[in-house]
Amino acid sequence: MSDFLPWLFIIVASLAVVAGLVSLWLSLSLALSDEAVSSVRAQIDTDARRALLTEKEALLQEIRDVSFEHDADKLSDLDFDELNAKLRAQARHILHELDEGAESFRDEAEALIAERLADEA
Amino acid sequence: MPTLDIPFFGTLVLCLILISASYTMAIAMGAGRGRPQLLPSARWGTYATCALVLVAVCVLAYAFQVHDFRIRYVARYSDRSMPWWYLIASLWGGQDGSLLWWAFLLAGYTFFVTRWLRGRYTELQPWIIATLMSILIFFVILMLFAANPFATYIRTTPGDGEGLNPLLQNYWMAIHPPSLYMGFVGWSVPFAILVAALITGRLGNEWVRAARLWSMIAWTFLSLGLLLGCLWSYEELGWGGYWAWDPVENASFLPWLVGTAYLHSVLIQERRHMMKVWNVFLLSLTFFLTIFGTFLTRSGLIASVHSFARSDIGQYFVWYMGFLVIGIAALMIWRLPKLKADNEIESLVSREFAFLLNNWVLLGMMVFVLIATTFPLLSQWIRGEEVTVGPGFYNKWMVPLGLVLLFLAGLGPLIAWRKATGSKLLRALAVPIGVGTTVAVLQFLFGARLGYPPIVEPTEIYDTATGTALAWMSAVAPVVSFATCAFVLTSIGQEFWRGMRVRMKRGEGAGTALVRLVSKGRRRYGGYIVHVGAVFMYIGFTGAAYDVEQESALRPGDTMSVGQHTVRYDQPRMEADPNKRMIFTDMTIVDEAGNEKGQVAPAKFIYRTHPQMPTTEVAIRSRLAEDVYVIMSTVDPSTRRGTFRIIIRPLVAWIWLGGIVLLLGSILSMWPTGRELLREEATRPRRLRFSPATAVVALAIVVATMMAWAGVASAQNDSSSTLHAGSVVINDPIERQLFGRLLCQCGDCARLPLDTCACSWADDKRVEVRAQLAAGVEPTKIQESFRAQYGAAALAIPSDAGLDRALWAVPLGAMLFAVGLVIVIGRRWQRRGAETRPTTVARAKAELEYDSRLDEELERLEES
Repeated sequence: MSDFLPWLFIIVASLAVVAGLVSLWLSLSLALSDEAVSSVRAQIDTDARRALLTEKEALLQEIRDVSFEHDADKLSDLDFDELNAKLRAQARHILHELDEGAESFRDEAEALIAERLADEA
Repeated sequence: MPTLDIPFFGTLVLCLILISASYTMAIAMGAGRGRPQLLPSARWGTYATCALVLVAVCVLAYAFQVHDFRIRYVARYSDRSMPWWYLIASLWGGQDGSLLWWAFLLAGYTFFVTRWLRGRYTELQPWIIATLMSILIFFVILMLFAANPFATYIRTTPGDGEGLNPLLQNYWMAIHPPSLYMGFVGWSVPFAILVAALITGRLGNEWVRAARLWSMIAWTFLSLGLLLGCLWSYEELGWGGYWAWDPVENASFLPWLVGTAYLHSVLIQERRHMMKVWNVFLLSLTFFLTIFGTFLTRSGLIASVHSFARSDIGQYFVWYMGFLVIGIAALMIWRLPKLKADNEIESLVSREFAFLLNNWVLLGMMVFVLIATTFPLLSQWIRGEEVTVGPGFYNKWMVPLGLVLLFLAGLGPLIAWRKATGSKLLRALAVPIGVGTTVAVLQFLFGARLGYPPIVEPTEIYDTATGTALAWMSAVAPVVSFATCAFVLTSIGQEFWRGMRVRMKRGEGAGTALVRLVSKGRRRYGGYIVHVGAVFMYIGFTGAAYDVEQESALRPGDTMSVGQHTVRYDQPRMEADPNKRMIFTDMTIVDEAGNEKGQVAPAKFIYRTHPQMPTTEVAIRSRLAEDVYVIMSTVDPSTRRGTFRIIIRPLVAWIWLGGIVLLLGSILSMWPTGRELLREEATRPRRLRFSPATAVVALAIVVATMMAWAGVASAQNDSSSTLHAGSVVINDPIERQLFGRLLCQCGDCARLPLDTCACSWADDKRVEVRAQLAAGVEPTKIQESFRAQYGAAALAIPSDAGLDRALWAVPLGAMLFAVGLVIVIGRRWQRRGAETRPTTVARAKAELEYDSRLDEELERLEES
């Protein structure tokens, strides 16, 4: 093992040097070009939608937990009804926002399809 | 081996890391300030920087393996006889190398976070990367300008190295620091996410969710590191304990306390969108304390058995901490309007409020430990008098606070979120309180007979009313602790049962109900299992109240009895390996009938490189009920007569068992759900699936490997070492109390009290004090004359008068003020909550057509 280890460290270090240089070159070439602009902007739009989806997921979990606590006799009927109604209202709001956001994606998708069909024609 | 100018190459790589990290930080900040197209470039810059850090670590590891003693660090922490695994452990065995190791772990975290961030949190990403790079830059600057691990000797290169300190040549030491560093460094990630959220103003629950997994990973590693540190102390330092409240131990405990408070408090924000400022403060403080802890360890400002040598790097830390405080305070003030709570506490009898109390206790403990740790320094600055704050002070004050915390761990799960109805809460409390009370009654009836009396003899740290009150609190602590442990375990068991019953009503069998209950609520039930682990640890801590120890000089064939055990000394035996000579003393544990119950072999190790520091290797026979802890103090080669100290430590194994349960609970609470995994697969290309799942599985593998390694190592070598040589005899409780307050002044072991220190100076002083006691001198007079002779720092605990009283009065006052504040704020919130409730409900859009979709989604969630 003690004979093998120095070589192992040299090999790993060499590979890391190569990986570092390649990464640095990629970083510099990307910094000097504007290729990434559209993809990053699109990513920001996707992010907003993803955030809404995550929020919806959290609310669903919370509704489930509240229902569970009610079933486990920790929450009174009155408190459960009020809390459940509030959470469901928030979740409906998120669903609504998601639907509204989907409109722009739908328009974009339709435009892309139309473009593609025009190209093919 | 290829010939390389390793020192030059290593330093060159450090320079390249600095350039690359600075470039990446600049590019990332550009991406964050309106040029998002620079983000991919910043990501690749991060990978390049991480790769360079890996190169630096490999170069240093290579230097250790080929014994390149041109490098000062290699020469100081290794020698030619050391096996390869200790050569690897030497990487973090000294100050300079451990800074590189820190940078390496940070680079590792940064790499995984950057991969994980791909395709998510695009607006936070640039600032997360920039913050992580800024932390890395700080550590690289430290290395380049103050503690270069590749620095060489100016004149001649030594033929062999000085070798790693024998105390560090231990399997626990090989895994304890990396784990602790993983915990320390790990808090950089949630902190970076927080900074990104503050800068971008995205202060909803987005950052909390992004930071959740990384906070859990950091907390788990920090807990594991602390636990392994306890094991190292228990097995290696040979004084029979596992936690000495040493400044360096405290330095790692402080961020753990605040991190734990954050993990509880952030649940309130996630669930109720409240306490946003508080959570920002707690997370920032946790990160700050990781840096502060490193500063304490490295600066040499406070005397500690763990400290690295006094060095110049302290000033760098002071500047960096100043920058952190100003930066975070400015960001918080700037973003205060966006940190307003969306809801208010609606009842003081709610889980939110229980969590607030939990935060109060944890922060109170933190303030106590922080003030006590820095008190010697403060005393020196304020009045020019050096003092010492020994373990006795911490043990007395932390016990009641710890028990309150334990009680809250049992109370919290029983209270509903938002508002608990009195009748329901009483119904939930009935069984746990009943079980707790029953355990207390049983202990009063049978405890003494079984060796666990409910009340132990009170020992005072002060001869004042405070001292008496503290002494009585610790005297009744065993029965309170066992009863509270039973209360918490029953409360958690009841939670499991109530959950199962709900599912069983839906037609599921008991087994299926349990499995589905846990799998559907990993975070909640994982958290409960963490609490079970904590209860087991409390059981172990409580066992310390029943320690018994004895010391005897024996010839081969002689026996000594301690507690219910008889130990026979069989023979001495010598072995050797290239690194050291080992003198073992074979001993047999026998029962009352003379039947053999087990073998132990305490030893002395004499390392080739440190012949002047023979280490004493303790032997431990560990069972759930108690440990038999055997120390060989001396052995005469000619007469074969040996001096042995045996300590019976009840319930210690429960601490390690609790630690394992705690880790399993943490892993369970981090385990990703099927939905998370499926979504990852559905939305991301296969080759880039560096998800939370990957991180959690990696963590589980690391923990399992560590445990397996530790288990194998422990089985191979059931012993460890200490630099103590000699013996301690204590005849009665007055001696124990007094010796516990006086510190050895031999110069080598200044922090050890006379009830522990085994050197000849301490031995002589004990004889002298005993004579004074026999002559009828009051213990307080002896203590005063000791103080007059050697100074205030010679007492293990400062007096309970004058400025010394601030040591407990300030944190206690702060805690009382805080609890008043919590109640006042809670009541105000409660009133406002009642007023604002209808508005909150009215804010959401009531569109009935979404209700059926919600029901469908909920069904899918249940089935997934």
